[in-house]
Amino acid sequence: MTAELIAVFLGSTIRLAVPLLFAATGELVSERAGVVNMSLEGMMLMGAFAGAVGAALTGSPMLGLAAAILAVLPIAFVQAGLTNVLRANQIVTGIGINILVLGLTTLGYRQMFGERSRATIPGFDAWSTPLLSNLPVIGPLFQQIWLAWLGLAIICAVAYVLACTGLGISIRAAGEDPQAVAKSGANVTAVRHGAIIFTGVMAALGGAFLSIGDIHTFTEGMTNGAGYLAIVAVIFGNWRLWRTVFACLLFGAATALQFQLPALGVQIPNALLIMMPYLLAFLAVAGLVGRQTAPRALAQPFWP
Amino acid sequence: MIAEAGMLASDAAPGKGRGVTPLLAMTGVGKRFGAFEALADVDIAFLPGEVHCLLGENGAGKSTLCNLIFGIHAPSAGEMTLAGAPYRPAGPRDALSRGVAMVHQHFSLINELPVIDNLLLGGRLGRLDRKGEGRRLESLAQEFGLTLDPAALVGDLSVGQRQRVEIVKCLMKRPRVLILDEPTAVLLPDEIQSLLAVCRQVAGAGCAVVLVTHKLAEIERVADRVTVLHRGRIAARSDHPADEIDALVQAMIQRPVARDGEAASGVLALPKRQRPTPLVEAEEAMQLDGVSFLDRLGVRRLDDITLSVDRGEIVGVAGVEGNGQSELGAILAGLMRASAGRWFAGGRELTEASPRAITAAGVGIVPEDRHAVAVVSGLSLADNLFLNRMRQFARLGLIDRPRQRALAAEYIRRFDVRAEGPLIRFGSLSGGNQQKAVLARELTTPDLRFLLAAQPTRGLDIGAVEAVYRLIRDAADGGVGVLLVSSELDELIAVADRIVVFYRGRIVGERRADPANRRTIGALMSGQAA
Amino acid sequence: MSVASLSPSRPPLPASILRLLFPLGAVLAAFAVGMAVVVIMGVPLDKALFAFWRGAFGNAYAISASLNRAVALALVGVGFVIANRAGLTNVGGEGQIAVGGIASTALCLTPGMASLPLGLAFIIPMIGGALAGGMWGALAGLLRARAGANEVITTLLLSFIAIWLLYWSVQSESLLRQPMTNSATLPESLLIPDPTKAPLLTGSYASPVTIGLPILAVVAVIAALALRRSLFGFQLSAVGLNPVAAARAGIAVGSTMVVALFIAGALGGLAGALMLQGEQYSLKAGFSSGYGFDGLVVGLLARGSIVGVIAGALLFGFMRSGGISMEMAASVPSALVGILQGLIVLMIAGAAYYVDREAR
Repeated sequence: MTAELIAVFLGSTIRLAVPLLFAATGELVSERAGVVNMSLEGMMLMGAFAGAVGAALTGSPMLGLAAAILAVLPIAFVQAGLTNVLRANQIVTGIGINILVLGLTTLGYRQMFGERSRATIPGFDAWSTPLLSNLPVIGPLFQQIWLAWLGLAIICAVAYVLACTGLGISIRAAGEDPQAVAKSGANVTAVRHGAIIFTGVMAALGGAFLSIGDIHTFTEGMTNGAGYLAIVAVIFGNWRLWRTVFACLLFGAATALQFQLPALGVQIPNALLIMMPYLLAFLAVAGLVGRQTAPRALAQPFWP
Repeated sequence: MIAEAGMLASDAAPGKGRGVTPLLAMTGVGKRFGAFEALADVDIAFLPGEVHCLLGENGAGKSTLCNLIFGIHAPSAGEMTLAGAPYRPAGPRDALSRGVAMVHQHFSLINELPVIDNLLLGGRLGRLDRKGEGRRLESLAQEFGLTLDPAALVGDLSVGQRQRVEIVKCLMKRPRVLILDEPTAVLLPDEIQSLLAVCRQVAGAGCAVVLVTHKLAEIERVADRVTVLHRGRIAARSDHPADEIDALVQAMIQRPVARDGEAASGVLALPKRQRPTPLVEAEEAMQLDGVSFLDRLGVRRLDDITLSVDRGEIVGVAGVEGNGQSELGAILAGLMRASAGRWFAGGRELTEASPRAITAAGVGIVPEDRHAVAVVSGLSLADNLFLNRMRQFARLGLIDRPRQRALAAEYIRRFDVRAEGPLIRFGSLSGGNQQKAVLARELTTPDLRFLLAAQPTRGLDIGAVEAVYRLIRDAADGGVGVLLVSSELDELIAVADRIVVFYRGRIVGERRADPANRRTIGALMSGQAA
Repeated sequence: MSVASLSPSRPPLPASILRLLFPLGAVLAAFAVGMAVVVIMGVPLDKALFAFWRGAFGNAYAISASLNRAVALALVGVGFVIANRAGLTNVGGEGQIAVGGIASTALCLTPGMASLPLGLAFIIPMIGGALAGGMWGALAGLLRARAGANEVITTLLLSFIAIWLLYWSVQSESLLRQPMTNSATLPESLLIPDPTKAPLLTGSYASPVTIGLPILAVVAVIAALALRRSLFGFQLSAVGLNPVAAARAGIAVGSTMVVALFIAGALGGLAGALMLQGEQYSLKAGFSSGYGFDGLVVGLLARGSIVGVIAGALLFGFMRSGGISMEMAASVPSALVGILQGLIVLMIAGAAYYVDREAR
């Protein structure tokens, strides 16, 4: 493999991992606070759709991004209300939201763009990072949309908040023993509401990256399981931030390999590469790769 | 002075507290949960600088009272004032911000977090100054003699150390009112001493300390004043509790009791058991041979227990809770394996046996945590009566419901379970009837030779207590060997033939179940060698 | 992660009126929303409704197609209810359908299968599909019993693994893909031989209700009886409601869980086999197309009742058919049906706690 190919491979790995990184980082915060958002898939899809619509209508990808966040917030509110106030089953509500959003976006897309249109919409362009992009060989690696850098910044901020602030302690504690958190004078419901809304914003960014960042178009159901894959990344990352980031990059690399290997004349079934993330996560959960410890109160409703 | 409830209703701060403004006062406070009246007409005042003990049996309303003060529940009647101002906390957060802190019976700690993070939980949301807080912790530790390793994971600490974290967590908030809900139930004697010393010291700084307990020794040692609750109402108060212990106990259980005297069985309306003449050759019902148990952290919870129970004999296990009784119960139930040693029942070795094999050997188990281990509350009474023997009604895999119902009805009559019928949801029965149903099942174990009854009367009213002990005695009279674990020494003395004392996982002594031995057994329980 | 709140309690018959009324109300409300959307889209309401009705009930073919859909959903739903009685949440219907379809296809295409007598030609592939799905489910059960791995996570992961296994089998000639004669050969399996197809009840393709319907009837009756009256049903409830007490009572908690997930998986696999042998006749990527998740939703909404599963499956089955027809005849995207399903799920899930409390 030539150096050039490696650079291209790394570049596309990152490009494919960024949406996952956004969504998985959001989901990680939620799950650490004790809430599973199976609706991550729906949130990302809505983000991709609203981002595309916003950008197409206004011609500005920035406004598209804002539209994505605005459109996902109601979904996050619904998820938060159902799980934290009505104490509905988190798996059911998540799947319900996914079905609903798939319907909504498909319907909306047909209304707005007509059936099966592949119209290109305004989107973000790759941004040459000063200095770094001019480096030999690995320069193209830094040819990323600025959103990718924003993602990196957010991940670092999340790491800081979780480890070094009182809010971080409350979030982690809310996922382990919410009763104890409430007795300690913190507001579990508020923490969980906040975590879900944060997840929504992150999923919106990840979804918008897919439509107006990466390929500048929207297709029906375009997330195609990316939201579930992000949840899988959190599981494979054993609910630790940096391991989850690593999992996203690994999953991105597996996807990138699909396009790279044929070029190199290596014949590995596509399906096997796509399956790899799920298989790895499965082996991890099965206890074959280290020990998994989920937050103790994960997916359990909290009763004050 | 002891005063009957009501007599002091207008006098919120009687006795030596007269003239001092109470820090926290409750007037006419009541609390209902649905149809159940947990508290009613409670008038009580907590003064600055005092250790105020709340005394009462299980279910008397002590915890409810604490939860009202800490804002976990809102009172359904009455008023509370804090330092003269109206006080109606919306929740623990509110209570904490007003200077009310609570040490919970079930700790409010997160096992997965280090000590320092636990101490900071619920505080400011922004950047943490772990170093600075660590220094504060150190000075606090010096002030109260409570040393802690801030970096240790709470999950790795012993129960006593965890409680120390819980207390420091409260003290760091510099509370005006400190509530401790049965803090000594899980502690070793020396830990209890230092806890009581901390209570004294906190009160000395002008705090009101509310200490919930049912241990008389602690009251003698530390209480300035005592309020006794009985069935949700104030039954008595005392300003000189050390001198009035007997009267307080009387108020607590509302029946005459001799504390050290001849008729300890007066607690129960049961005559002292006269063991039937032993069989010609005593036959062993159960035998423990050098049984030890090490928990996940390698702590030795049971240490070389050797003990045998003859048929027809009732052996009592006395001891403060947490001295290995639960572990022994789990091993005998087949839910845990002994780390070393062997045990036998009915002539069979059951050391490695499954729960099913243990039942088949003629062993009945009444576990201490009924809801967790003995019953499925969501199923019917009839299903629970035959939980381990449903197979007997199966024909081609289908349950013969009519036959099951008929037999259930017979058990319900025989064991006097008060229920609307065999199909009622088990969880809707009262505690006493639930326990009678469990006993009905275990005592009808085919070929029963040995029965473990662990804390069989916990949380039951006195009538149910007597019924339960009658059933156990009848079984023993019929030739069953019984191991009776209880933290109520008086009950053991009344019901058992002999008593072994557990202390830190070992048997530290054995005495005849004679009221005259009450004091020695008590001393053994507290770890003082006889 | 545990999903304890699914409450596998047995619904007492008398107090269940609210539980019956509420789902009905949710369905009506969702349909009202659907009609509003149709009006907003500018499609004449009567035209859309007529198309929907035509697609769902219009003729024998429409009804048959809806029934076949409902059968697949109901099988997955019944399996979900059984596993849920043991306190387990089977999210893996999609994957269990997929492996069922793969196994069934492989068996149908096995040389000599088509010439087996006595209907064995279609029975063996069906049983094979059920067994494959069952083992796929039991794998999650085994991991739960042995390693404590949460079944929500493992069944979900196994679903994705199975979906890509299926994709692989139809992409690779060495697996199930039909021989590539030219570059336009589609990535799908050969058509299965006629004797291996599931028999039609009427014998006519004008009303293609398959043998799946009577199979479902038998499965549903057995399941209802087993849950209510059998020793096994009792053991499932005990394990689901209090595994520690069940263990103390001598019930083998681990194996009960494995068996429960085996049954759930087997019913999913059977649904997959029926979808292949009774409807699609050749395996393609996207074979299960959401039936697993819809079946899961049907099972969840039924809240422990087999009758509820049947009702929900019929509703979703007919809605799918109606939606497809609406798209073709009235150009209202069938995505609208997804919106309605999502709304129904959210409404019923959101009210579950309060309905339960009222009914108690």
